[in-house]
Amino acid sequence: MFSGLLAELVQNLKKLPGIGSKSAQRLAMYLISMEKVNALELAESIQNTVKNYKNCSVCNMLTENNPCHFCSDYTRNQNQLCIVENTQDIYLIEDTNEFKGRYFVLNNLLSPLDGIGSDEINFPKLLELLKSDGIDEIILALNPSAEGESTISFLASQFEELKVKVTRLSTGLPFGGDIEYTSSLTLGNALKRRYSVKD
Amino acid sequence: MEISLLKLQNYRNFAELELIFEPEGALIHGKNGIGKTNLLEAISYFAFGKSFRTKHDIDLINFSKAFFRLEANFTINGKQFVFEASADKNIKQIKIDETNISKTSELFQYLKIVYFSPQDIRIISGPPAERRRFFDLAISQYSFNYLQLLRKYYRILKQRNALLKSKFNNLEKKTWDEQFIDIACQVIEFRLDYLKKFIPLLTDTYSQISNNHEELDVKYKFSFANFYGENLKDNLRNHLEETEKSEIESLRSLSGPHLDDIQFSFDLHPARSFGSQGQQRSLVIAARLVQANLISKKAKDTPILMFDDVLADLDKERALSIIHLLKKKHQIFIATPNVKNYEGFHLQNINLEELV
Repeated sequence: MFSGLLAELVQNLKKLPGIGSKSAQRLAMYLISMEKVNALELAESIQNTVKNYKNCSVCNMLTENNPCHFCSDYTRNQNQLCIVENTQDIYLIEDTNEFKGRYFVLNNLLSPLDGIGSDEINFPKLLELLKSDGIDEIILALNPSAEGESTISFLASQFEELKVKVTRLSTGLPFGGDIEYTSSLTLGNALKRRYSVKD
Repeated sequence: MEISLLKLQNYRNFAELELIFEPEGALIHGKNGIGKTNLLEAISYFAFGKSFRTKHDIDLINFSKAFFRLEANFTINGKQFVFEASADKNIKQIKIDETNISKTSELFQYLKIVYFSPQDIRIISGPPAERRRFFDLAISQYSFNYLQLLRKYYRILKQRNALLKSKFNNLEKKTWDEQFIDIACQVIEFRLDYLKKFIPLLTDTYSQISNNHEELDVKYKFSFANFYGENLKDNLRNHLEETEKSEIESLRSLSGPHLDDIQFSFDLHPARSFGSQGQQRSLVIAARLVQANLISKKAKDTPILMFDDVLADLDKERALSIIHLLKKKHQIFIATPNVKNYEGFHLQNINLEELV
């Protein structure tokens, strides 16, 4: 039913996550009927942002400035490195206010099903970063999924020679959770990794 | 656990139907093809999140209609729940008390149904996959942790198989192997624990429903060399090392719980090839009864039992006495074309021929 430019726009909108045929049509119709100035401003903003964002040459995060503002901020703790899967995870960790060190983005987790092996997780770049600076703790902040677990143990085995402390996020009870409603796998993990009350 | 109300809309051969059930259950009868199994299937949809006959929800939609919808009232552990399920060709939705559930596997934490199917004999006579399916389902109903663990195992297995098909580096393989070994052994430990409880109950139940006095045995058969007295993980790790070449040649994982078997035997002969039809039928009914018994012990509530024309296989007096015992504890549904076979069962009578 849509043809020409409009059909093309619908097809392109459908590439976004969570947007199906119906939503794409609705958005496209909205775009061509809204104030032209506003629609063009949106288009320009998309173009500028996409063009100007690239991977940081040090930590790999998507950034406007190279190196990114984390890598160029020397007030941050230079001894701690937090390894995450993607740029969005950095912002999630920043929101916690618990970490003031440096970051490294893998962009992928090991997943043979998707053709992702150790060559696809930016490992050489990570080694480069580790060589240059005085990092004494590496935090592996990756998902506790099958893919995340494999990536964690792969990286941990690679770090063995480096004589740095290697840690991972703990898995256990959620804050404000209730033991009664916690799955026993989670509760079991929380017990295994219990910690002293004085910590 | 019990169901008190079921509404069906565009489900299989039912355009629109509403049924009210008594706490004891019902005897569902009518000629062949009238939809007796469809009715049992509809109720059990809420226990498994899918049909026990097909993987495709689209097959459940009444011919020429666009969607199906089911609604049921269940009492579980003394609490009332309203379950709803619907599907069209794109979307499937299951709700408990008007809240969408995110994964169908969540249903395993609520409703438990044991369905005695005429095809159950394949658990004994069929290939190992049939026995793994039986035990995997039974243990998942017994412990939700097992279901989560099993899903994780199959995810890792898929990844490991993909790895074996690719050009991998050895260190990478080692990390996948270690995770594979860890989860594989947890799955096996779960199964062995379950069998420890299952086997004595099975021996007992079998002798109650069968005239035969042969010695029954159930053994877990590993797909790898598991040396007695040695650590399970070490055994699997050693075996993987020894078979690495053939795994790489055949491009898939050749050992692990996805290939293990659980063997039933009579007087030390495999029941699969030596048992008579009668022995095999009594044995699967006993196995299903034990499945139900173990759920009752763990869940503090009794599962709903469904007999899809299988009691005809047993001696009639025996069948009657079993049902009378079960009726005291479970809600029971029996589907049969011959209502006369079940005279004296004192269950609510539902004649589908009058309703469809």
